[in-house]
Amino acid sequence: MKPQEPIPHNYSISRLNLIFALSSLALVAVTGLIVGYDYIRGWKWFQLEFMRMQQERIVQEMQVAKSEENSKQLADLDAQERKNTLELAAHRDQYLTAQKALDAMEGDHYRADQDFRFAKANLDAQRYITEASVVQHRADAAQQQAEYERQSAHLADLQVRLQDVTRRRDAAKANVDQWLKKIKDAEDKKKEITASVDLLNKQLTTVDMNRFSTNWILSQPMLDFVNPVIKIDQVVLNDLSIDMNYMNVPRVDRCQTCHRAIDTPGWESKAEAARLSQELQQKLDAYQIPAEKRKETEDRIAQLKRIQENPNDTLNPWRTHPKLDLYVGSASVHPLLEYGCTVCHRGQDRATEFGRAGHTPASPKMEHRWAERTSLTAGFFPLPGDFAKRHWGYEENEFIETPMYPRHYYEAGCIKCHSAQIAVDRGDDITKATQTVELYGCYACHKINNWRFSDLRKPGPDLSGIAEKTTPQWAFRWISEPHNFRSTTRMPSFFYQRNMIDPSVVPPQERAHNIKLQDAEIHAIVSYLFDKSTHRVWQQPGAGDAGRGKQIVNTVGCMGCHIDTEQVKDEKSGQMRLAKREDFPLERNYGFNLTGVGTKTNPAWIYNWVKNPKSYYSEAPMPSLRLSDQEAADVTAFLLTLQKPAFMTTAIRPPNRQAVHDLAKGYLINTLSDRDAEEKLRTMSDHDQLVYLGQRTIEKYGCYSCHTIKGFEGLKPIGTELTVEGSKALHLFDFGFMNDEKWKNEDGVTEHVIHTVPSWVYNKLRNPRIYDDRRTKVYNDKLKMPNFHLTPEEARRIAMVVVGLTKEKVADSRMAGLDAHTRLIEEGRKRVSQHNCRACHVVDGRGRAIASTIADANFLPPDLSPEGARAQSPFLFNFLKDPTVMKIRPWLGVRMPTFHFDDHEANTLVTFFAEAGKGPQFDTTRGANASPANVKIGQQVFTMLRCAQCHGTTPVNPENPPAPNTADSTSLAPNLTLARLRLRHDWISDWIRRPNEMIPGTRMPTNFPRDAATGGFQSPLALAIDTPQFAQYKSTLLPLFNGDEKELKRTMSDAVALTDYLRDYIWSIGITQMRAASPGGDAPAMAMPQQSLPPATAPAAKSTRNQRGVPAVSGGAGR
Amino acid sequence: MTFIKDFVNVLSAGSISFLLLTSIFALIIFFNLLNGRIKSAGGFAFVGFGLLMFVAGIFVPPLLYLGVAYFLILFILARLGGRLWDTKVGLWLFVFGAFAFGLSMLDPNFFLIAAKPDNVPIVAMIFLLGFFTWLALRKAYLNDTQLVVGGIPWEKTESDEKLFTWPDLVYTEMLCMILLTIVMIVWSVVLRAPLEEAANPTSSPNPAKAPWYFLGLQEMLVYFDPWLAGVVLPTLIIVGLMAIPYIDTNPKGNGYYSFRERKWEISVFLYGFLVLWSFLIITGTFLRGPNWNFFGPYEYWDPNKLVPLVNVDLSELMWVKVFGTSLPKLWIIREIFGLLLIGAYLGLPPVMAIGPFRRFYRKMGAARYYVGAYLFLIMMSLPIKMILRWLFNLKYILHIQEIFFNV
Repeated sequence: MKPQEPIPHNYSISRLNLIFALSSLALVAVTGLIVGYDYIRGWKWFQLEFMRMQQERIVQEMQVAKSEENSKQLADLDAQERKNTLELAAHRDQYLTAQKALDAMEGDHYRADQDFRFAKANLDAQRYITEASVVQHRADAAQQQAEYERQSAHLADLQVRLQDVTRRRDAAKANVDQWLKKIKDAEDKKKEITASVDLLNKQLTTVDMNRFSTNWILSQPMLDFVNPVIKIDQVVLNDLSIDMNYMNVPRVDRCQTCHRAIDTPGWESKAEAARLSQELQQKLDAYQIPAEKRKETEDRIAQLKRIQENPNDTLNPWRTHPKLDLYVGSASVHPLLEYGCTVCHRGQDRATEFGRAGHTPASPKMEHRWAERTSLTAGFFPLPGDFAKRHWGYEENEFIETPMYPRHYYEAGCIKCHSAQIAVDRGDDITKATQTVELYGCYACHKINNWRFSDLRKPGPDLSGIAEKTTPQWAFRWISEPHNFRSTTRMPSFFYQRNMIDPSVVPPQERAHNIKLQDAEIHAIVSYLFDKSTHRVWQQPGAGDAGRGKQIVNTVGCMGCHIDTEQVKDEKSGQMRLAKREDFPLERNYGFNLTGVGTKTNPAWIYNWVKNPKSYYSEAPMPSLRLSDQEAADVTAFLLTLQKPAFMTTAIRPPNRQAVHDLAKGYLINTLSDRDAEEKLRTMSDHDQLVYLGQRTIEKYGCYSCHTIKGFEGLKPIGTELTVEGSKALHLFDFGFMNDEKWKNEDGVTEHVIHTVPSWVYNKLRNPRIYDDRRTKVYNDKLKMPNFHLTPEEARRIAMVVVGLTKEKVADSRMAGLDAHTRLIEEGRKRVSQHNCRACHVVDGRGRAIASTIADANFLPPDLSPEGARAQSPFLFNFLKDPTVMKIRPWLGVRMPTFHFDDHEANTLVTFFAEAGKGPQFDTTRGANASPANVKIGQQVFTMLRCAQCHGTTPVNPENPPAPNTADSTSLAPNLTLARLRLRHDWISDWIRRPNEMIPGTRMPTNFPRDAATGGFQSPLALAIDTPQFAQYKSTLLPLFNGDEKELKRTMSDAVALTDYLRDYIWSIGITQMRAASPGGDAPAMAMPQQSLPPATAPAAKSTRNQRGVPAVSGGAGR
Repeated sequence: MTFIKDFVNVLSAGSISFLLLTSIFALIIFFNLLNGRIKSAGGFAFVGFGLLMFVAGIFVPPLLYLGVAYFLILFILARLGGRLWDTKVGLWLFVFGAFAFGLSMLDPNFFLIAAKPDNVPIVAMIFLLGFFTWLALRKAYLNDTQLVVGGIPWEKTESDEKLFTWPDLVYTEMLCMILLTIVMIVWSVVLRAPLEEAANPTSSPNPAKAPWYFLGLQEMLVYFDPWLAGVVLPTLIIVGLMAIPYIDTNPKGNGYYSFRERKWEISVFLYGFLVLWSFLIITGTFLRGPNWNFFGPYEYWDPNKLVPLVNVDLSELMWVKVFGTSLPKLWIIREIFGLLLIGAYLGLPPVMAIGPFRRFYRKMGAARYYVGAYLFLIMMSLPIKMILRWLFNLKYILHIQEIFFNV
């Protein structure tokens, strides 16, 4: 064959081959890239690192376990085992014989057993044949019957034989076992001692990632599909689904993938370990931990101590969740497997990367550290080097709709499930936060449509009678800047705020113009309010004594809700400074600060107000303290001395005519043409213009949201609805030009706006006008939310509530407090909060703000924690309606006020106490009557325990029992004849047994201390009854026990029996009648002429009409 | 640097860039700019246009920018002439483009838009479009120079050769496959899938953009009634593309590249494809920001930017502005100008068939002439409407709300 001609090619084949070779190599390389990219994941490093940490700890623990003590014990055991073996060898022959016998027996037994079972099978078959032959009337029926009986007898024989053989075999086995047991015992003991080390060894293999270990091999790329050691950990929550707009998808929380130890105790931070060990130690010391758990708790404390001593603090993400007994822990109320993480924290449930999971920085500094990158590849996949420096490669992900709550706002997550509760158990932060929102009345302007914030009263006073209370001059200055009058007031500042007059953000010319407009608006508001005000004439007080008045104010209970000072001592500097609301408990901010009240109002008004606030307006939150005319006059005299003359000397600029005109026209031309508006204004007098402008201004600022104002009934509140504000997308918040900007607030604190919703809300609360900075806006478009002068802490708390109000719906079964029992309690709690009961009482373990003003704890109003179990509902109802029906401690200076509850409200409260105390509202024990014998025994015990030292037992008038010697403050206790009306039958004995457990710190002595060992009660009379001092009692008591001394002694040592006798005695001496509350708890009628005369303090605006250019509030310095 | 950025920002405004592109396009295609022969009346008209822009630029600064850019490009292209198709020049152009792009990436705003994973393919598309257009035109240019001197096209010279399927075809295909796979893998690793938040019917993203291949259509919606831009025009685009083989029966250029022999066909197609379709996609991708506002490539996409919307209909323009009367009640009178204008526009083909386009009419026959002419007219309605919008803020030529008919 002739050789083929070379084929012409378009390309050089060798070059193509080269390209092919290179590109194939490249393809292999990028395939490796896929595998590598899929394999190298940030979260894996967290798991590896945690395994390393675990390994380290296990090795440490193993060293402890293998301590000398243990090894010595082990050596002993070994010796014993050897001894046993030797002994066994010595008796070798006996042992062998026994074993041989057993072996033979086993063969016999096997045969006998088999014979028996085969015979049984044959018998069953024969039974069928027999029955069939009988039914079919076969000829051999009788023959078959005989055969069946024969086999039956044979089986019985075999069974006897089998039992016999079994018995003999068991005997032989026991014989062998006694030899073997000796060795086995020694082995078991050894196992027991090495158990902990064995366990640790087993654990060690699970965390061992050393090269070529099983774990290591299983984790190699491409091999890790078999049984990966490093894998994503997740919790699937079907009923806490995520709303994806078109469907609900289950929540799949993968947080544990990196937060490895989140539910494992032992990886706490040092701070948490310190807190927790202290808490546990306290519980341990107070015997609050059941005996079987004590050892466990001690071990835990030891572990926490080790954590604190460890030089290195465990860092996130490896830390244990704080408060594991409350969150995440399997024994907690929010176990990980049922609640996951993102339900509370929010964030992207399925994400396994730091940024994508929705972690939110709390501060710019934190954001900076998170975002920093050490390695070049950090953008694609961060390397261990990045993580080790705690740089997470963070980037703000604008597509996450539910970023996590940043630190400081964690408890916002509680609201979604706990919004039907007034107080969240152990959620102190969120409880205080919602309370703050309630106190400041955010809900009045901003509708919040959930149970917690609905059905609450208007936060501000009714203004429809303002002319009776104060003067226009005062009102003008007050509206201008309430804080100038009272530094602690909750009334916010609407005018002369940052976006209007702050020279740093408002140009001078605009500033001057704004001031004119603001002046005009305040004048207009004042004119409107006084124009529409009623002018009832109040009765003037008689002569009062200011000194006595002061005494009354300080003692009857005013100070529970009110503050009377504006100067407090700064804790840091020790200097006196202007008070802030935060300097006092929330409860004492409920009423206004009394300073300057004399400047604000007039004697007649004060007199009638303190006598009965409801006569001024029926919704007044202040209750009546039932002051007598003289007391009221004294109080009035005292309050009038609280003057702030300087406030009334600040100048009031008269309203600028042009400004009033322009503003009024601005409103008119919304509906009228320019010409018609001008025409209309010409027909209006200056005063009418002001009143018209006032109406529109009140509408603009929404004054009516908090105050009742005539002409604004039924209007919708002014503010943005906040019901789902926490779910509002970030881009819907108007940051203006303030994104990532620093600004200085009026209190000198520099704030920093960062691009998160919590930060926006927080800064808005700190200064509501801040987002107007550098904006060009017309006057009426400027932000108008008033400035509450919130401290950073207050603003944080309120912001927390706002961001916690989300649209996420939780299934009813997951909502807290939705069962009927809790609803009754929560409704009551809401009333408790609305009426500020905690000002004087401890309710649910919190409150009694008044305590700081009463030196002697004996004169404090009662702790109501056990009230539900304690008080009979009929009594409580009566008492709440009209506290004068019974005086329990007549010597108290503090008075239970008359709230004028209607029946419904009083019932709500009574039901609340009954439900909370788990006592029925009505029960048969009220009619209980003890046998005379019991009463007699009770009386003796009563005397023996010397109860009469403090308690009176002579019948009294419940409304006016005699007050014991008030100077003797150690021997005061309620008169026991009132008990039958007031206290629950069974509670009495319970109380006598454990007063200090019910009300810690009570003056009632604990007569029956607990036995630390058993937890039972000990009786002091058990031994005392035999002492000579008690001989007389003994002789009186013996007949009552039919002379049975043994029985008497047994009873005297039985605390429960003794307290029951005491109860029977107390019950027997009780009075059974009390006066009913005055119907409806009505306010006593006030002496008040109903004529409507123009009062002496008529607004200047009226009197000066037609005299001056612009009628309005006149006044100011020198006028 | 800032000056250049401002310059580009202004130029890229829809109106300016479109005008620039259209006029340069016309210049290259019809006036043989590349052959260095700007002699015809049309050529001088373009130079005049540029001068006019300079003068107008005194009053409307952006037009000055346009004039500058116009002459700059004119100058460069005239200098290059036929050398534009040299490999070396092509390479330089590519290098310059890549360099300008790389330099632009240093600008944070530009980077944000260009490096967005969704937009990366469009960036590649710009370069690929440029390259392949250049390549085709280069081949056509080379063939044309041969044809002018009586030679044969390059493709013909090698058509007699025979090659083996293996390795000449299959081997190279396989290599392409491997290389493409590599590119795709690296791409998918380096750029992550651009996932956003869960779809929410109550909140739409701003700007809400169609998929990239529909951005041309979306851009058309700015200038036309949805009925036209969303239904009629897309249908006609498809129909028109299908009709091409039946309208264009010119046998020349089959199997080889040539511009000279298919001047009209190539020009119309390239104008429609490059300027009216691809350019609008690129505009929609890179230059349309929040609220569908125009943003220059170096501009920050400020969602708060506001542009006044003061567009008027032709009827308002004529009756109110020109005649100073109110609008007539009867729509047929009110819209008379629009009707006349559209009538005149649609009446063009018959008139042209008698007049300047006699030759075409005779060559193509009535059916092909009219189908082609109307398709062309409808295509050209887009740039016309765009220009009318920019010049007169014209909203609709015909606005008959009574029967929901707007043009």
